Amino acid sequence: MQENGVWRLALPLALAQALFFLAPLMLLVGTSFATDENLTQASLRAWRDMLGDSFNIMSLLNTLRLGALAVVATTLLAVPLALLHMAAGPRLKRIILLAAILPLLTSVVVRTFSWIVILGREGVINSALIWSGLATSPVALLQTEPGLILALTQIEMPLMLLPLIAATARIDPALLDASVSLGGSLLRTLRRVVLPLALPGLVAGATLVFASAATAFISQSVIGGGRLNYLPAQVWQQAMVVFDWPVAAAMALTLMGSVLMVAGALSLLGRGARHA
Amino acid sequence: MNAIHRRSLLAASLGTAALPFGPAGAQTTAMTAAVYPGGWDEALAAVLAPRLRQQSNIAVSFDPLFAVDQIAKARAARGTPPFDVFVLDPGPRVSGIDFGLFEPFDATRLPSRGVLPDGYSDAHGAAVAAQVVGIAYNPTKVAKPAGWRDLFRPEYASRLGLTGFGTTFGTISLIEMAKSLGGSEANMDPLFAELRRIRPSVAAVAQPAAMAGLFQQGQIDVMYTNTYTVTLLRSRGVPIAFAVPETGAAAFVTTMHIAKGSRNAASAYTYIDTMISTPVQTTLAAAPYFFVPVNKEVTPGEDVPMRSIAEISNFVSHDWAVINPLRAGWIQRFNREMAG
Repeated sequence: MQENGVWRLALPLALAQALFFLAPLMLLVGTSFATDENLTQASLRAWRDMLGDSFNIMSLLNTLRLGALAVVATTLLAVPLALLHMAAGPRLKRIILLAAILPLLTSVVVRTFSWIVILGREGVINSALIWSGLATSPVALLQTEPGLILALTQIEMPLMLLPLIAATARIDPALLDASVSLGGSLLRTLRRVVLPLALPGLVAGATLVFASAATAFISQSVIGGGRLNYLPAQVWQQAMVVFDWPVAAAMALTLMGSVLMVAGALSLLGRGARHA
Repeated sequence: MNAIHRRSLLAASLGTAALPFGPAGAQTTAMTAAVYPGGWDEALAAVLAPRLRQQSNIAVSFDPLFAVDQIAKARAARGTPPFDVFVLDPGPRVSGIDFGLFEPFDATRLPSRGVLPDGYSDAHGAAVAAQVVGIAYNPTKVAKPAGWRDLFRPEYASRLGLTGFGTTFGTISLIEMAKSLGGSEANMDPLFAELRRIRPSVAAVAQPAAMAGLFQQGQIDVMYTNTYTVTLLRSRGVPIAFAVPETGAAAFVTTMHIAKGSRNAASAYTYIDTMISTPVQTTLAAAPYFFVPVNKEVTPGEDVPMRSIAEISNFVSHDWAVINPLRAGWIQRFNREMAG
């Protein structure tokens, strides 16, 4: 195959993307700058409603914070697992990988509703707490931010663990032996050898978890409930119940832009750290 | 729920397979009808669709969509209707009229129209089921509440599941609460003040579709809903009872409409006519479907606090032409008052 013809391989996907993603996205941008969804007249009202309203800005910040907390929680749990995977024999490696993929095999709706059964007033956690005498009355878990983060940590875990394992699996064990034999302590080896080499996987995982948790409409509304406000639910409400499509479009674009900015910052961080 | 659905799908496909041996000659007409997901979808697929096929040779396929999703989908389609028949509650019905989504409706094309009470069909569509809205509670956990006001007392508030103005039953329940607190159909201030006060102790604030699951899981023991949901949950073993508030239960009708530009208008009329016919309404009013019939010849089920649709005029009703313009503002305000 000639070198300069290779780009044609990307043509079908590029065309599909242009047709089914780029064109609707342009329509979305157009709608956000119009008075109604028929684009009758140009107007900045929707953007004023979105950006000039402290409630909407709070919803946006809550959404970004939720994404960030999900990244922190999944990282804290995934890193030890990835290290265990590095040290494990082939059998245990397979078990860890299977456990990582398993949640992906159930629908997100099923996973989300299972968390109602776990976190509810009469759920598994509360029953255990009361049975063991650690609590006398049910603890509020469902419809609280900690409960939502707990659920998202499980739901999003594969997105962190898989890229991380992919990165750590490529680390040459000889590098670790070299570090230790040169007098590096275990912690120093982790920090100076493993971490820099695993960083691309960590950054990729963080980006995926952040984008997925920040936009997890079903989990946010079902587990989070109406007292926690996140932007995806506001977009749905504006589009489907209030019928204000321009505001829904402005909100959707704000969410998309914010998530993209965080993803961009993460990728810069990954690149910067590698060169440092 | 899913199993039943799969079974009815199976029955439907078996029906299709058996067709060559059925009545020969007439061409089968295909049409699409929007239907609420869940109970409605199951009931209409199991009761209405086979009858329509058998009697009129119409093959109906269902598009399961909530009322607001039907309106959104029809608007997004911009003139090419995605389905032939809407099924809507009063709020979305008024939106549909405002957006010009329906064909003008001619009730004389419904041979069965005589079974409907006066005023149950108009220039926009016809009523096909009623809904009675009040308070549902778990009799094993809380005493029977006397009325809407009770929901704000600590023993009920801490067990209460709240849902906002996004649905018809949610909106009219909240309006009834506002009235019991000194407000009115147009004045929600007393309601919002009380909601703000009980917000930290309320058991859940959730999407309407999540309420039944939260009740089943024991997260909430009190909610506002219709008799249909109460009967359905109890038939599945959930301890739940319906309380008619002291100020009266609220009632409204669910209506069907023919989509503007529908190319199957004749079939659509037959579909609606079959839906209101006595045999279909009788089956739908009984277990396991528990619809509230609009047909004068059919007696409502035991949970419905009326013996005939004629009694619906004694129930609290609401003016959606007044409510709809105010609703967007209430939805926003509910979000804000309930936040964090």
